[in-house]
Amino acid sequence: MSSTVNINRLATGVPGLDEILGGGLPEFSFNLIAGPPGCGKTTLAHQMMFALATPARPALYLTVLGEPPLKMLRYQQQFGFFDNEAINHSIHFVNLTDEMLTGDLDQALRRIVAEVEKHNPSFVFVDSFRSVVLASRAEGNPQQNLQVFVQQLGTLMTSWQATTFLIGEYFNETDANPVFTVADGLIWLRQSVQRNSMVRKIEIMKMRGQATLPGLHTFRIGSAGINVFAPAGTAVAKRSETDAVPSQTRVQMGVSRLDEMLGGGLPRGYSLLVAGPSGSGKSILAAAFLAEGARAGENGVIASFEQDPHRSRNRIVADLIKNGRVGLVDSRAPDLSIDEIVLLLLSEIRRLKATRVVIDSLSGFELALAPTFRDDFRESLSRLVSALAGAGVTVLMTSELEDRYIDLRFSPYGAAFMTDAIIVQRYIEVDSRLLRVMAVVKVRASAHSNELREFSIDEHGIHIGCPLPDQEGLLGGRPTRKHLADLPPAIADDADSIRPSLPP
Amino acid sequence: MENEKNSPLVATLAQRVGNDADSAQIADAIVSTWREIEIALTPIIGQRGIATLYKRTLYLTGATYVWLVGIHEGLHGGMDLAPLRAAFARQNKAAATAGASALLHNFHELLASLVGPSLTERLLRSVWANSLSGPPAQDNSP
Repeated sequence: MSSTVNINRLATGVPGLDEILGGGLPEFSFNLIAGPPGCGKTTLAHQMMFALATPARPALYLTVLGEPPLKMLRYQQQFGFFDNEAINHSIHFVNLTDEMLTGDLDQALRRIVAEVEKHNPSFVFVDSFRSVVLASRAEGNPQQNLQVFVQQLGTLMTSWQATTFLIGEYFNETDANPVFTVADGLIWLRQSVQRNSMVRKIEIMKMRGQATLPGLHTFRIGSAGINVFAPAGTAVAKRSETDAVPSQTRVQMGVSRLDEMLGGGLPRGYSLLVAGPSGSGKSILAAAFLAEGARAGENGVIASFEQDPHRSRNRIVADLIKNGRVGLVDSRAPDLSIDEIVLLLLSEIRRLKATRVVIDSLSGFELALAPTFRDDFRESLSRLVSALAGAGVTVLMTSELEDRYIDLRFSPYGAAFMTDAIIVQRYIEVDSRLLRVMAVVKVRASAHSNELREFSIDEHGIHIGCPLPDQEGLLGGRPTRKHLADLPPAIADDADSIRPSLPP
Repeated sequence: MENEKNSPLVATLAQRVGNDADSAQIADAIVSTWREIEIALTPIIGQRGIATLYKRTLYLTGATYVWLVGIHEGLHGGMDLAPLRAAFARQNKAAATAGASALLHNFHELLASLVGPSLTERLLRSVWANSLSGPPAQDNSP
């Protein structure tokens, strides 16, 4: 028989927070919510309080010198979680200003004890704790007074079986602050400002008794309250174990001849990178991929960062979106993070039971991200690809490729190694015309064509033609006819200058 | 602005004083209503918070009822309602009734402008609940 205590984990009611806490908030824990002014501490506290409190398990919100309570109520009621009926019923606000103004922490503690005994709360919030710290300075040995106060408060709350939150600001994390020692949980909120974008981040620096997800996680404050974007990997990790065996089936691309080039279509669940210069037809290929899915009864999701979504970018995609066969993820928030995009994508995938996903394009995606995330773009992209793979969908990503004919590159992000398959598109100059060629560079664990094929685009989409066996040096952009290339170098150089006038 | 007569605090006061009250009874009723407001709000916004709202209400109402001006000067700490009672008792019945209605109405509007009508109703519910559960209004029918 196990005699160890079983710690209940409470659902905080804040989307994503339970995941990064490692399964919820431990019952009877003594927590500190810290961060600079305006980072969302009070909102986080209120959102948890309204979710946790019930008439049988009420909450006590002690307001200390910080924000005037009328102001707090005025602003907090703008959030969807705020419920007027809960006040004086399952939630009790208590103002400690009068006690705190005396600077006597004992008196404040006595009042807290009295209120706790009166309301028998299961949850206690002290907002803000900074004022307690400042008030304690009024007396002889502030640090020691504060330590005693925190110690007594912690003991009181734990024996009273109350889960407690101290809300404080300006804490320096390197300080040997007595609160840090006593606290079971440290929830740190931050704001990262870079250029014109501000990104909110949350970190669980400590949570006794459970494994939290380390690091900074982004969150957003909207009209419904706080939404934490837990890392994409956590939600799908379990799934990928069950779906570990790669699928043998293939999905059709919607472009005739391309499927044969891929060795019979793209293996289901693969991620495909389509790289090419501007205007080479990447988005058209992506649209064909989604349309082919719709024809086969598969729904899709497109994350579009390219053009104005209100301009009809591509009639096929616009129609698919309109008919509900394709979901659109189109976030233009200035504080956009990859984790948020992954959550948006996964929720659209679930909603539509989608099996095909298009990200058009990675270049636009990078630009759409808040500057603070751009440094980690590759790492985040890798998380995104694995999250989507975990969801079992087939992914097509487009990537802008600068037309450079001195080297052969498939992606500016080194995204090539993350994807299972790569198609590259190039412009070539033949007979004073810009022609397009396409090749399948890689299909993991599958045979595929190695031909460079010319293709054209008209109102019906992409048409893949034949290889250009009489030309070579196609990837250099200025192909030459083979018989010329076979000539000695000196003559070949001359041939270069006369090549445009040669017959095709 | 909401009609004074529809204001729930004014209705509460009317229920307490009935039709035959003299100005001294009106003065008692307004003081007891304020006491209940104080009891309802002090835990949430503190003594200083409620005293500041009280002072602002007197200022707003004093624009029309000048005899309310200056009865609450130099305010620190809690509220002393004795000057309020005295000021009302000095008026005739009509003036006291009108002043009391205006005072409570203005307070209600002030709080509603800060935290919204819905939360105001929730916070002050105990005030009108007390008045409804109190002794019934005088019934003169045989």
